[in-house]
Amino acid sequence: MLSKITVSPAPHISEDHSTRSVMLDVIIGLAPPILAAFYYFRFYALILIITCVLAAVVTEYLCNLIRRTQNPLESIGDLSAVVTGIILALSLPPRLPPWAAVIGSAFAIAIAKMVFGGLGSNIFNPAMAGRTFLTVCFGILMTTWTVPATIDTKMPIISAESKIDARTQATPLAWSKQAIKKQSPASIANEQLKVAFTGNTGGCLGETSAVALIIGGIYLLLRRTITIHIPAAVLLSAFILAAIAYLINPSAYISPVTHLTTGGMLLCAFFIATDPVTAPLSTKGMWIFGIGIGSLIMLIRIVGEYPEGVMYAVLLMNAVTALIDRLCRLTPAGGKPNV
Amino acid sequence: MKTMLIGKLTFPGGTHPPQRKDLTADSPIQPGPVVKKLAVMLSQHTGAPCRPTVKPGSIVQPGQLIGDSDAFISAPVHSPIDGRVKEVALQSHPVLGRSPAVIIEPNPNIPPKRPRPKSQDLFRDAAELLDKYSPEQICLAVRKAGIVGMGGAGFPTRVKIEPNPRLPKHTMIVNGCECEPYITCDYRIMLEWTEQIIAGIILAKKASGCERVFVAIEDNKPQAIEAVRVALKNWPDTGYIHLVPVKTKYPQGSERQLIKAVLNRNVPTGGIPPMIGVIVLNVATCAAIAEAVILSLPLTHRVLTVTGEAVAEPGNYYVTIGTPVGELIEFCGGVTQKSAKVVLGGPMMGIAVADLETPITKTTGAVTVLTKHQIGKAKFRGRQTPCIRCGRCLQACPEHLNPTKIAHAVKNNRLDIAQDYFLSACNECGCCSYVCPAKIELTGYIKTGKIFLARQKKKMPE
Repeated sequence: MLSKITVSPAPHISEDHSTRSVMLDVIIGLAPPILAAFYYFRFYALILIITCVLAAVVTEYLCNLIRRTQNPLESIGDLSAVVTGIILALSLPPRLPPWAAVIGSAFAIAIAKMVFGGLGSNIFNPAMAGRTFLTVCFGILMTTWTVPATIDTKMPIISAESKIDARTQATPLAWSKQAIKKQSPASIANEQLKVAFTGNTGGCLGETSAVALIIGGIYLLLRRTITIHIPAAVLLSAFILAAIAYLINPSAYISPVTHLTTGGMLLCAFFIATDPVTAPLSTKGMWIFGIGIGSLIMLIRIVGEYPEGVMYAVLLMNAVTALIDRLCRLTPAGGKPNV
Repeated sequence: MKTMLIGKLTFPGGTHPPQRKDLTADSPIQPGPVVKKLAVMLSQHTGAPCRPTVKPGSIVQPGQLIGDSDAFISAPVHSPIDGRVKEVALQSHPVLGRSPAVIIEPNPNIPPKRPRPKSQDLFRDAAELLDKYSPEQICLAVRKAGIVGMGGAGFPTRVKIEPNPRLPKHTMIVNGCECEPYITCDYRIMLEWTEQIIAGIILAKKASGCERVFVAIEDNKPQAIEAVRVALKNWPDTGYIHLVPVKTKYPQGSERQLIKAVLNRNVPTGGIPPMIGVIVLNVATCAAIAEAVILSLPLTHRVLTVTGEAVAEPGNYYVTIGTPVGELIEFCGGVTQKSAKVVLGGPMMGIAVADLETPITKTTGAVTVLTKHQIGKAKFRGRQTPCIRCGRCLQACPEHLNPTKIAHAVKNNRLDIAQDYFLSACNECGCCSYVCPAKIELTGYIKTGKIFLARQKKKMPE
């Protein structure tokens, strides 16, 4: 006979998902770019990813202690801090000293996430906030691009000094900026299309290999962890703007395909802009949000002073997410009630 | 008779919970338990509750009226057995909490019998018989028999089918979707009582003045579709009845979603189907209409599925209305574990009861007993994590609402914001809670918000 009857509101069954499994899916989706980073940047990639993840998790734990959370370890289990750490690491230059990575990671979790109330309450993408903080504080470190370990030394090199233990190199987007300023032809950047596709070029840890990012993105789409709307909106709007610039002056502006495969564009489209917490809820809102990010990236890249604009574009659109949500209020299937 | 095969008819949104209908799908309708004590609720429907028409000590016969009301939206209740009224007392009601019921004890002088469904021969040759009933006669018989929507909402059927000059009806949809997981009572009725259902459809169509009828069955029940198809073919003059297989998706059997799927029309938010000239009747309701009109029998028994992994012998039974849930579970071999969840209805919309004395009502389609393991899994060991705004609830909501916003507004006691996001438009199907990875009780919050809203309106009449 029954001795204990459980009572709760319907429904009494639920899908096998949890926040943890969603985050785990993102981590699996991030595996191809992580592997590509290991391949191209070897030891640096390993150090950077481990430092960022550890710093993120420890910071979250400390914040939970300060907030007197009942079980300070519980929120670590949802893996969201791990995802933030990985994404931050993948968007950092490979040779960034670990202490700087720790500062960025701690800022991302403590200030951009926990201060707002933890998971689900943050307005800005923590990883992008952390990266912005690092760019503001350590501008030079954040724009020093190491040559991948696999690279051939004949590639154009900007500041190679024989006594330094690492060679650095301009990223395809830096070449693109040079072209816009009429200091070099756009063709140099366009020539990098092939290497940008596999990832054999300078750049942030996880953004150099387009193919790895696309594989990871497709995994997330297939697992339905993300929907197609934001990636499609980001990439399409960026492509259209880049194509317009390219058609106007192909010698000053690099081709739209190069734009899409270089810099943080794909990482942003599949992994950063799709962060559900900081993106709008409705499909229509997602399109507006994605188009905003794609357009801002291209505006910064083409018109602005920086060669790359992913993090600013994401943060700017994060700031208006609540407004987009309000703008795109859903109408019930049966129309608005006549009250 | 026409079978429509225009692709797979469905509605936007919804989910695909595991079916688990295999537990009872092949179990024929069997006689239910002999009852020792009955509690016939005086409110088993939407609308005004009945007042008892019997006193403690009265002797009642099967089919005798024991509760009635003068209100238009109401349905009388009847005694299912020979017996003596013990008292009119408060009983646990699955929806209304403690509410009055007529407690009947069986007459000790009459040997107890297990309730048996009516022989189908009574309906097999009823085709010519049906002509002699006028629409008024049908409506009256349906009212007298106390028939209510047997799919779950329990809206008095007479109110539904009676012609209303302000809201003329042209289309009737017969709901054989049974989209709730686990439940198979409608499926068995469609297989075993096919002629009775068709007789009921013809009677309801005649009473309501509808011109066409659609019989909608989910495509995961090919045998039921085939049974209805054959029966319609053998029945004379059923050209206006269209058989429409619809896509298997939860909540396909919800009235509004079914109308969207079959007719591609939306019922206005806050409105009722007759506003667009449609009525929807459940297959079990149609069967009850046939019984009420042709055999003049009131609704005192119903088919229900006792199922779930925690029940020893799941199956479909013809059960006396008023039987306590606990007795029914005992009849089915009891539970296989000490800790479980007893749900009246299916796992998506059913109501978990704490009191095993809670009686079966006209709208109870199933008793689902879920295992401890399932409860734990569903609630992620009782933990809700913060909303990560993933938007799955928006994708799943068949009414195009924003469940997470409504739930959070209710949680923060801001009914004004919840109303801005159309709190009242929710049909409580449970899709949002089902898909939520954070395991937030979205539907629970929304239901709570609706109750608060109703209380608020009561306090401030305009």
